[in-house]
Amino acid sequence: MMMSRLFPLLFISVLCMNSFSGVQGRKWKGEGTTQNLESIVIGRCFNYIRIVNPAVGEKNCSQIWEAFKNAFINKDPCNILPKDYELFINLTFHTIPPNKSLFWENNQLLVNSFADRGRRYMSLGDTLFGFIGDFLNWCGQADSPGLDYESCPTTLECENNAVESFWRMASITYAQHSSGVIQVLLNGSAEGGAYPQPGFFADYEIPNLQKGKISQIFIWVVDDLEGPDLDSCGIRSVKTLETRLKTLGYDVTCTDNNKSVMFLLCLDNPDNSKCALASSAPAVQRGPISSDRGGSWNKLMFVSFAGFLFRFALVY
Amino acid sequence: MPPQQGSARMRQRTVLLVGIAVLLAALVLAVVLASLLTHGRHEVSPQMLKWKDRGTTKNLQEVILGRCYNYITAQHPELGDKDCQKIWESLKDAFIYKNPCNITPEDYQPLMELASHPIPCNKSLFWSKTGDLVHRYTKSNQNFLTLEDTLLGYMADRISWCGDPSAPGINYESCPKRSECESNPGSVFWKMASKMFAEAACGVVQVMLNGSVEAGAFRSSSIFGSIEIFNLDPDKVSKVHIWLMQDIGGPQSESCSGHSIQRLISILEERNFKIICEDNYRPVQLLQCVHNPDHTDCRLCTNSTAIP
Repeated sequence: MMMSRLFPLLFISVLCMNSFSGVQGRKWKGEGTTQNLESIVIGRCFNYIRIVNPAVGEKNCSQIWEAFKNAFINKDPCNILPKDYELFINLTFHTIPPNKSLFWENNQLLVNSFADRGRRYMSLGDTLFGFIGDFLNWCGQADSPGLDYESCPTTLECENNAVESFWRMASITYAQHSSGVIQVLLNGSAEGGAYPQPGFFADYEIPNLQKGKISQIFIWVVDDLEGPDLDSCGIRSVKTLETRLKTLGYDVTCTDNNKSVMFLLCLDNPDNSKCALASSAPAVQRGPISSDRGGSWNKLMFVSFAGFLFRFALVY
Repeated sequence: MPPQQGSARMRQRTVLLVGIAVLLAALVLAVVLASLLTHGRHEVSPQMLKWKDRGTTKNLQEVILGRCYNYITAQHPELGDKDCQKIWESLKDAFIYKNPCNITPEDYQPLMELASHPIPCNKSLFWSKTGDLVHRYTKSNQNFLTLEDTLLGYMADRISWCGDPSAPGINYESCPKRSECESNPGSVFWKMASKMFAEAACGVVQVMLNGSVEAGAFRSSSIFGSIEIFNLDPDKVSKVHIWLMQDIGGPQSESCSGHSIQRLISILEERNFKIICEDNYRPVQLLQCVHNPDHTDCRLCTNSTAIP
């Protein structure tokens, strides 16, 4: 009798525990896999080869999705290595035009705008392999072919996670195939330094630059418009970077607050004093012509002209 | 058996065999020829109509679906309830198997309903002959939305599509230009989408026009001049702010006091809109300076000791 009453109680409490753990006990601390990942990846692949950069030629986007997925599904999500993405990289690979590589740290949105969809520069996010993964999140689980939509490990929880290893592999590849003049855009207002160590540029890109293919390195250190000037050329972390690259034998030039990039920063803050253009007249003088004033301007001109004529007539 | 009968039968058999062999050979030849001809016909698709503009974008379905999911998942999660599969189906049904010169707004009505979404007030940004600049601007500054920044425009931007009555119903070889027929799938789509974009605008609306074009900054034949300004709702739109942009170092063909702008202003005034016109709206001019940092028009006030 007692047992038959206990069982329903036990059953209910087990159910409750399961749902409770479902809500509270997410496996990992990071966001889960992006919804509709497959459609997005395949769509981005075709979008890139048909519209964004058809110069890369024909690619097999279904195969690319399979290679991407197989890098991390059915595996321990804390044991994904960069070389797991080797097939994906091979299938998405294309050459990077010389002089167009743009490396960066702590200013992704700015770099996206500055690169102008690959027209001005080709940042990692403008290559096919970078374009596919940008701003997405993904992970799998051991012993199951499914994607984990609930949570994914952060890099703090484990380094060898699917997304981190993807970007390591992508960064290595990007650096290996960069040539000519290369550009590096750093944020002079970033806490922890414009040239962060550890960091993708420091650990995966610089070591994979091909000295024989690179003619020059331009470093641009740009502060946030209203941010502190924590780092600049020749001091602190930037000096460390310059020294490192020069020791490696590169021809390095560093510039503070590159003008073009400054203008880009000014878009969001055009009234900042750093953004005042010498050529533009103050707004009041050049002023907007409004339809309300349209009629009265004409009247004003007419009256002024009439007044001038009158005075002229008076004098003579 | 007498030898003559034997040899006659032999001859008969030989003739029969030869005859069968010839028939077989002829059959094989006929089959080979037929398959060659039909194979050739499939490659050329002579039944499909031929037009002057580029054909449907290859992998249209994957591109449209991917863009739809990309938009609602990665960029605008507030639109998470949109059904991208249904949206693709409704786009396809609008033109597949139809003569591409016979497309009507009704064909696109289901798509328009499924894919439209509200636009926040004061953010609508119209444009004419400033396509490159305006989209670089909205990419860098999220305060404004052009039609191509809405779901419908985002999916369709730089893509082409058209159908054909014969299988497979989509023409990947060519599509009609506007000069060949006005009611083609692309033109009808953009006209409808532009009309809806204008109807949805509220508050202050902006328009970026080109002051370096010889033919004038405002043309009545443009989509802006023929559709958008006439579908703005005076009860919802409080003001129209014109940004008249001239190329840095380019010809200063027109400014706010120019003829075509005055015409635009009078059309808008007639519809009871307040208008402000601004020459070389500064934030956009700053964007132009990104590409011309050393031009005299782009000298910064604090620039005396700037390193180039």
